[in-house]
Amino acid sequence: MTSAIQTDNLVKKFRRVPALQGLTLNVPAGAVYALVGPNGAGKTTAIKILMNILRASGGRAEVLGIDASQIRGRRFESIGYVSENQEQPEWMTVEYLLTYLRHFYPTWDTNLEADLVKQFELPRNRKLRHLSRGMRMKAALASSLAYHPELIVLDEPFTGLDPLVRDELIQGLLDRAEESTIFVSSHDLGEIETFASHVAYLEDGKLRFAEELCSLAEHFREVELTFDVPPTMPPQTPTNWLQLSNSASVVRFIDSQFDAERTNAAIPKIFGEPRNITFSPMSLRSIFLAMAKSARNSA
Amino acid sequence: MKLNQVWNIFRKDVRHHWIEIIVSLLLVGGFVQVEIENWSQQGAVAFGGASFMNAFFRGLAVPLLPVSWIFLIVRIVHGESLAGDRQFWVTRPYDWKQLLAAKILFVLAFVNTPLFLAHIVLLLKAGFHPTDYIAGLLWLQFFWTLLLLLPTAALAAITRNLGQMLLAILFVGLFVIAQSYLSSMIRDSNFSGIDWVDFALIIGGPIAIILRQYSVRRTTQSRWLLAGLAALLIIIMVATPYRRLIARAYPPAAADFPLQMSLAGPPAEIHYDLRDRVPLPIAFNVSGLPSDSFVELNGVILKLQNSSGQRWDSGWQYGGLTFFPEQKVMSPRLDVTEDVLDKLKSSPISADLMLAFTLYRDTNPRPLVVPRGEFLFPGLGFCSAGSGPISALSCRIALRRPTFLMVSSDMAAGTCPLSKDEVAPAPGQIVRAFIRGTPNPADPELSPVITDGITFWQASNSRMSGICPGTPLTVSNPEEAGRSSVDIHIDKAWFAAYMQALNKNAH
Repeated sequence: MTSAIQTDNLVKKFRRVPALQGLTLNVPAGAVYALVGPNGAGKTTAIKILMNILRASGGRAEVLGIDASQIRGRRFESIGYVSENQEQPEWMTVEYLLTYLRHFYPTWDTNLEADLVKQFELPRNRKLRHLSRGMRMKAALASSLAYHPELIVLDEPFTGLDPLVRDELIQGLLDRAEESTIFVSSHDLGEIETFASHVAYLEDGKLRFAEELCSLAEHFREVELTFDVPPTMPPQTPTNWLQLSNSASVVRFIDSQFDAERTNAAIPKIFGEPRNITFSPMSLRSIFLAMAKSARNSA
Repeated sequence: MKLNQVWNIFRKDVRHHWIEIIVSLLLVGGFVQVEIENWSQQGAVAFGGASFMNAFFRGLAVPLLPVSWIFLIVRIVHGESLAGDRQFWVTRPYDWKQLLAAKILFVLAFVNTPLFLAHIVLLLKAGFHPTDYIAGLLWLQFFWTLLLLLPTAALAAITRNLGQMLLAILFVGLFVIAQSYLSSMIRDSNFSGIDWVDFALIIGGPIAIILRQYSVRRTTQSRWLLAGLAALLIIIMVATPYRRLIARAYPPAAADFPLQMSLAGPPAEIHYDLRDRVPLPIAFNVSGLPSDSFVELNGVILKLQNSSGQRWDSGWQYGGLTFFPEQKVMSPRLDVTEDVLDKLKSSPISADLMLAFTLYRDTNPRPLVVPRGEFLFPGLGFCSAGSGPISALSCRIALRRPTFLMVSSDMAAGTCPLSKDEVAPAPGQIVRAFIRGTPNPADPELSPVITDGITFWQASNSRMSGICPGTPLTVSNPEEAGRSSVDIHIDKAWFAAYMQALNKNAH
């Protein structure tokens, strides 16, 4: 098996409102795969379909080689799922939560459990309802890592957490990244750019792009053109040129399918010859913001 | 050590809901205590002479006990809520069969078992040996499970929290009210012809919902299933061919039907004070009933029509009349609304009456003289007689009343003191009491010990009569000997006289 998760033209509608519109994804085994997109993009819906919490309206999805609609019961022995909006048995203490769940997993590792409790500094005797949000997420993560899951699915795990807790959670995840595939959703690419190996961008239920993180940066460039006299702004530009703006004799845009030769050739045809051209690499956060803004403008 | 999931979930539920469990067990204990205290006031039971406090606690303990079970079941089902998409357990390796088994184990442990033990204690305290009533005890468990625990679990399975559950209970309550109202609107619907279909749906629906929710958690579908079930019950109620069922259940009387009836003349005077209902005192002279038989009038259908072709039909009305050989005149209770009469009286009225009877033959008559104090009434339970002029027999019955037991006594042989100015009754004035139960191994009660006040009445004048120590009784078991209907035409002349009598009253 080379794919931990595979979806093909996945569709989900809530009554007539589309939440997912033909999502096709391939999450390679062993990857740390980030599904990013603004709030309401369909990330949680996609994950809930993968976890068989929701039923797809169309298309198909496989998780660890099994049809997602069949994921239930013992299938979860090899899947860890943590979500920001999942209800927890708040009356349980951390200790009792771990003791209770221990009996569900044949591969539960009590040494690993002890390590995770120590690493996350979890108070064993405190009830979940008395824990801070960050602590609760840590408890949920510890209870989802202690059985060496083959696949870890995290739905917005870092939302609302302070940076310190976020780093602790990420560290806890990375320590186990070698033995698992991690599929994490976030509305902020900046949260996961330090550790994701792949990224997919979802917006309005549609996949905008999906690729390895290292090649993504290669595709995006911030372009700055300087002219001797202010150029006339063309009525139409290539669709991969985002956020086109001008200020006096300087024109800026983001090329989302950057190819030096092709871009260099296209600029004079549209604006005339510039005095100077600069191509600046972009951070993943900037890429994400550019994608989000351009989508909002086009909407 | 890896625990079995059933045991693991069960232990978790016990740990989580220990307070609710203790409250429920205390209520079971309170219920037992109150029941036992009630018997210690034997003789007062029939006439509500229990002390105020006792009555208050009894009034509280009995309804609170089922409420505590409902609450307990809702809490444990909601512990692993089946509705919604945010529950922690749905992405854990729960096996649905083991989850369901854990919940069933919990209900067995903290609802069924305490109830069973309470029943055993109550039977022992009431002087009955529980091993003689195993079938009845199990039947009671079955009854409460099917009619209370199962529907509660089904509603809990399609709701997420207590708020939703209360809303669901409210909907069920509204449905029951609507169904009752609709039933009162549908003529003949008080003839219970195909109750087993309703019963099967009421039992089968919740089972289907519970299994579906636990196996695949399709809450919306399950809610629709419940709505469909409610709709089906309404459709059955509306579409049942009651007249055909009545005709099949009560075929026209054959030549050997022992009851001969002839229409008596119209009354000379009619007195009534009900605001918009006018009595229709149709009476029959009756003969031919053998001395070992009696009939029950189960229902009446009255059809009125006038010469102009206007018609009115009462639908199936409950008869509520028992007729014995010593009686000579039968007067079914009939009335019509003033509106109907006003509408029809413009031209001469005639009527058709269908009377549906069940004929009983008295079997196995045996004598019994009422002893002083508490005594074992064979086939019934422990009884005692009072000493007042209208004192009844107070009895403790284990699990079920007899299917049909008739106790009769000649008033002339009565031993109760006569009240002042009362004339000693002449021989041949019979008073009777009926004790009737279901054919099931237990009557549908919360307690296995039924306390009944058995009152005796005279069929001819409906007067109650007392039974005191020393009174000789005849105990028998009436058996159904057939059902028949009798159609009687009431001509215009009778109605003309009736209308005249009615007008006299108006003036």
